[in-house]
Amino acid sequence: MQNRFLPYLLTLPSLFLAAVVIFWPVWDLIQISTHDVSRFGQLRDFSGLTNFWALTADPDFTAALWRTGLWTVLVVGGALLLSIPVAIILNTDFYGRGIARVIIMLPWAVSLTMTAVVWRWALNGESGMLNSALLGLGLIDQNIQWLASAETAFPMQVLIGILVTVPFTTTIFLGGLSSIPDDLYEAAALEGATPLQQFREITFPLLKPFINIAIVLNTIYVFNSFPIIWVMTQGGPANSTDILVTHLYKLAFRIGKLGEASAVSLVMFAILLVFTMIYVRLAMREQRA
Amino acid sequence: MSLRTWTVGLMAGMSMLTLTAQANAGEVRVTVAEYSAKTGPYFESVKKDFEAANPGITVKFEIVPWDVLLQKLTTDITAGTNADLSIIGTRWLIDFVQQDVAEPLDSYITPDFKGRFIDTFLSPSIMEGKTYGLPIAASARALYYNKELFEKAGIAQPPATWTDLQEDARKIKALGSGTFGFGLQGKEIETDVYYYYAMWSQGTEILNKDGTSGLSTPGALEAAKLYKSMIDEGLTEPGVTSNNREDVQNLFKQGKVGMMITAPFLSNQIKDEAPNLKYGVAAIPAGPTGARGTYGVTDSIIMFKNSKNKDEAWKLLDFLFTTEQRAKFTQGEGFLPVNKEEAKMDYYVNNADLAAFTALLPDARFAPVIPGWEEIAQITSDAMQKIYLGSAEPEAALKEAADKANAVLKK
Repeated sequence: MQNRFLPYLLTLPSLFLAAVVIFWPVWDLIQISTHDVSRFGQLRDFSGLTNFWALTADPDFTAALWRTGLWTVLVVGGALLLSIPVAIILNTDFYGRGIARVIIMLPWAVSLTMTAVVWRWALNGESGMLNSALLGLGLIDQNIQWLASAETAFPMQVLIGILVTVPFTTTIFLGGLSSIPDDLYEAAALEGATPLQQFREITFPLLKPFINIAIVLNTIYVFNSFPIIWVMTQGGPANSTDILVTHLYKLAFRIGKLGEASAVSLVMFAILLVFTMIYVRLAMREQRA
Repeated sequence: MSLRTWTVGLMAGMSMLTLTAQANAGEVRVTVAEYSAKTGPYFESVKKDFEAANPGITVKFEIVPWDVLLQKLTTDITAGTNADLSIIGTRWLIDFVQQDVAEPLDSYITPDFKGRFIDTFLSPSIMEGKTYGLPIAASARALYYNKELFEKAGIAQPPATWTDLQEDARKIKALGSGTFGFGLQGKEIETDVYYYYAMWSQGTEILNKDGTSGLSTPGALEAAKLYKSMIDEGLTEPGVTSNNREDVQNLFKQGKVGMMITAPFLSNQIKDEAPNLKYGVAAIPAGPTGARGTYGVTDSIIMFKNSKNKDEAWKLLDFLFTTEQRAKFTQGEGFLPVNKEEAKMDYYVNNADLAAFTALLPDARFAPVIPGWEEIAQITSDAMQKIYLGSAEPEAALKEAADKANAVLKK
């Protein structure tokens, strides 16, 4: 009888902590988003879903919503595609592997904001490093204004997003690869399997749970990632590189619409919650089958 | 990444808790904007001098970068952990007054104290007859031009009108070798203001007399077309929408840009970073009718209504606005004097750069005192970026912006 309550008792402290850190702010957000709220967060009258309706009528919000989807898919997808080969290479035994691993991990060690600041300098049209490098190599004959319009700024932001997501993803995959026993490969090699077949039949299926984890965690991080876009373009020019977080920040702290900003925040929370639940459910079902 | 975010958040939360707990008697907390690398050391010395002169009072300055100042104040006020005094942009003051967080200072202000200020700079902080803030920093904008480039291009004097400016920009562009005629700002804070210079010279104001947005008037359209035509003709630096004010200033310091409009602090920066640059400061060009306008800005220091140490805080304000303190701060940062006695000092009287700025003050426009001003500024900046990029026709973009601005104004 005692044993039945013990697990609940043991999870209680962490549940309490989660409640303080997660549920309380969400409750606060619900309060703010359903009230008419002053510039400094004082609640006035209950206003129901007015703030949410205001969002649907705002073309900047819908544009940012779609762009957030694109941003997340591109960055998570790109990081995934890049990390699998990187992890496989780093998992093989070669001279200088330790150094190679450190180099791959380095972007992770630098603060995201600083990375973005450095890239902003590097992408400066007149005195940026990238333009002078490209000019020096003879690849371009006049400066490209990288951050002047979304056509060039957004792809660069996605690339930087991928760059900073790779270390974490590679770490997950390295853990996964080291859990695959070597005898599987030895047996496959004996049977005459090519490296590509080995990858398709052994590595990939056994790595799948790790890929699932990487997708869920990265999606959550990238969807919410603020510094890269904010530092480089502040979502501009003319909101053309805005994602939901940068849109939210402008709504709340530039314009002072705390109610609408809280509504955006809740929409983001809901999207991530639904995504995670669906994805985890699907991934679990696949594993059981 | 997420773990780090959480820990930072937690730590921020905890430090807030300790801050509230610490708000003990005799301590004056002040939120201060970081204008330059000199701001921190200046307030450090204020703390030392003031505490020595006023035993029993301790001062705590929280220095915040400009970009996050409004965010910090919003979160602090929402959480009730705001300081006793804070520097704010005077254009935000109306929000603070309407939300009843700013304390009127009239009960402290003696006629003698009031007499220290130049009226032009004090008046934006007065609302409904009450003084809610004191101008801690004042600034205006004027045209900087590169004398060396002007000489090479055979231009005798700075442009008097926008037509002259276009002509001069063409000549500078013809010099080739990576020089640009006119530095046009197209990103981040004051992108809208950079457009107003041209708009004011057309005789158009931000708000029409009936209180609606001026963006749909013919003058506004003329101004937008002027800038757009200069971009298309290659008279500005390329990639206008990727350059904020600092980027354009950097191009000017590198001698790559012939003309730009900015604040007096550029003179200080040039003195430190590009001492060999030969430049002059002139009035902002006039329009066809001779109308012209510069942007006047003040930042105010305000007292919060919920402050528990108002008398001590006032003592600090009194100290900050002595001539000696004012001169130290203003000259370090490169602002305009707000104090009458200070303005008479040799430093200002014999300074040709500053004289050009003070001469423009009669044409100065301050940001309109309306709630929601930041939103209208944002709407205008967005419209300008669309026009500069060519993703919208000037007429359509301005019409849309005017409609949005009018909707904000009606609230």
